[in-house]
Amino acid sequence: MGGKMLNLAKKTFLAFLASIVLSIGVSKAVQSKTVEIIMAAPDWPPTRFMQEYFNSNFPQSGDTEIKLTLDFIPWDTFYTNVAASLTSGEEKYSMIVSDSQWLGAFIEGGYFQKLNKYIDADPELQAIFDDMHQGYKEGYTTYPYKSENYYGFPQFPDNYVNFYRTDIFCNPDENAAFRAKYGKKLPCTYADWEVTVWDDIFDINEFLTRKKGEMMAGKPLEDDMFGVTYQAGKAYDFSSMQINGFFWQYGGDIWREDQQPNAQAVGVVNSDINVEALTKYLDLLATMHPSHKTGGMGIFEMQALYLEGKIASMINWVGLGAPVVDPSLSKVYDITGYARQPGTMQADGTISRWANLGGQPFVMTTWMTDEEIDASFKIIKWWLSFDTQIAAVKAGGQSCMKSIIYSDGYNALAPWNAAYVASMDWQKDVWHIPEFFELLTQQQEEFDKAITGQQDAKTTLDNIAEFQQELLEEVGRIE
Amino acid sequence: MNNNSGFLAWVMDPKRRGPMLIAPAIIVLLLINIVPLMWSFGLSFFKYRANTLKPPKFSWFYNYEKVVQKEGIWEALQTTAIIVAGSVGVQMVLGFLLALLFAKKFPLRRILLMFVLTPMMLSNVAVAIYFKLFYEPEFGLLSQFVQSFTGEMYVLLATPAGALIGVIVADAWQWTPFVMLLVLAGLVSVPKHLYEAAEIDRMSWWRTFTTITFPYVRSLLLLAVLFRTIETFKIFDLVFILTNGGPGTATETIGVLVYRTAFQFFRTSSSAAMGYILLFAVIVLTSLYLYVIKQRESEEM
Repeated sequence: MGGKMLNLAKKTFLAFLASIVLSIGVSKAVQSKTVEIIMAAPDWPPTRFMQEYFNSNFPQSGDTEIKLTLDFIPWDTFYTNVAASLTSGEEKYSMIVSDSQWLGAFIEGGYFQKLNKYIDADPELQAIFDDMHQGYKEGYTTYPYKSENYYGFPQFPDNYVNFYRTDIFCNPDENAAFRAKYGKKLPCTYADWEVTVWDDIFDINEFLTRKKGEMMAGKPLEDDMFGVTYQAGKAYDFSSMQINGFFWQYGGDIWREDQQPNAQAVGVVNSDINVEALTKYLDLLATMHPSHKTGGMGIFEMQALYLEGKIASMINWVGLGAPVVDPSLSKVYDITGYARQPGTMQADGTISRWANLGGQPFVMTTWMTDEEIDASFKIIKWWLSFDTQIAAVKAGGQSCMKSIIYSDGYNALAPWNAAYVASMDWQKDVWHIPEFFELLTQQQEEFDKAITGQQDAKTTLDNIAEFQQELLEEVGRIE
Repeated sequence: MNNNSGFLAWVMDPKRRGPMLIAPAIIVLLLINIVPLMWSFGLSFFKYRANTLKPPKFSWFYNYEKVVQKEGIWEALQTTAIIVAGSVGVQMVLGFLLALLFAKKFPLRRILLMFVLTPMMLSNVAVAIYFKLFYEPEFGLLSQFVQSFTGEMYVLLATPAGALIGVIVADAWQWTPFVMLLVLAGLVSVPKHLYEAAEIDRMSWWRTFTTITFPYVRSLLLLAVLFRTIETFKIFDLVFILTNGGPGTATETIGVLVYRTAFQFFRTSSSAAMGYILLFAVIVLTSLYLYVIKQRESEEM
């Protein structure tokens, strides 16, 4: 009896094994071909999620297996690596996660594929385009900026959110002390932050800047503590993104590429309003963590300080939110609140919250074969489908599809979603023209001189305006 | 078969054997060195950006004129000169003193020598990251040390002078052992009987040093100055990682400027022109040192 049972078990097991082998064989036979899409991507959580989720959830169909391989490149060198790959002619990448500012440079170089004819021929792609938030569609897909020429799809939409320590900002004793000293409430809830403007940050930072060993929220501090902190780094765009927001909130502007060749740089970039806005940015910076003095307060450095509990609040991209709520990485994973970044009070009593659009589209390159183009559109449709977008949002990502962000329960998917969605209508993008990196690098150097105390706001903006005027006249963008 | 053996015999002919043996090296050198050099030299006379589809347009000396007229290159040359003077100066003094120390025999000398030589064996990137962490205001050792006295974080890289000092110290730390090694080679080659004679003559330490020790190491010291000046003049990775040329452009050396122009601004032909100006400066420096060395040799003769 026992022997028969053993034999039966053996036969069942062998049959089970045979069926697995057969099914693998059949599926391999059916999917006789593999198309590999290599995508250049910055190395951070939203792109790592895309790779993992594709590997486990992408629905393979038809006789071709689609393989997506993300080539992860660190953020600091991402532009340089991608630019080197494209200009060298190696034709390594079929798809690229591109910052929106790069579009002009690489479209003019002949590397990024125009998508209009594919969109016109495919109702599914048209539906995707119709579903995108207008500001994000213009930022991520159009060149020239705000034109009807489309080049990309959103890979990871992003904007600023205020991450703040609820154990400090909502502590009753701290609140009482703050009220006693400044006669107002220390912002604790989302609603409190909605009425908080940059001028309030002077008081908040003065109040929260304390030395190691002093008491804060009922405990002695293990390290020096600082208040609200924002970007002020020399690398890449780690000061321009925050400063542009100040210009726009004050009513100033940057050089307007959508109004070339009439738009000027001199008189706009160094306008009195912009000087006032930059002065406010610099004055506030003086109350923040001193790392900015090295030109090193980039988005990752700021994130590290916040995760270690050394600053009470950071204004940073949503894309850097996932590690904040990860107990293995963050000391503040369960004591963080989320709000919109402070704005600037206008004469009519409203608060302006303009900010520089973050996030990235992904684009297709011009040397792709028909099979690769077909496979890429399948990946794009899958990535922008409802279920995948929801999964991405749950994992710390974001969406700019109206059907997703305005759907019921969206704000509950991630703790920063309410702040993210409320900020979406306040986004403008920086230049998309091919000369953007030259403009950006010179601007970053000049801002860095101001941040490190080598020159004042007026000199800084005069130098930037003069450089931009000369360069843009030379390439025929200003007449 | 006959053809093959004929070809082999032709190749192996003693008259041709030498040229045939060095031919592969010459071809590789031509392909990876001379051809790109000529190509980039040619490119420096065109208007061209590598990130656009526009074909190169011949522009005579436009790029050279433009580069020379720009303030950036003079600032960068000045910054480079300060770093070269500071770093090479420190390396020479410390390298010489260390060599004098290690020329004598003492316990654990070999082990200590191994540790002292370690920095020059590290990659520039590793050294740059090490010093970036060392100078870091929040947890860096330097800031922690200063903070223990002042109670305030110390941000060395916050000012132009501090950042320059930071770069010079890091570069000098890495390359002082190289100078020491060269000088040490000179010191150990001094014939012992000269020192014995000096001792018999009761010569002072200073006179022994100036008349016996220094003449033996002078040519090696000049060689060290030559090598280190040329290398430091081209400094890029240490600066780029440590300060990114900042604050502002305070530590932007000519190497960093050429990189930015070529690979961030994509002003390909302008960067080629800058590269040739840099090459010219290095050739002038090299010739100058070689001239000095020859002068000294002829004086000694």
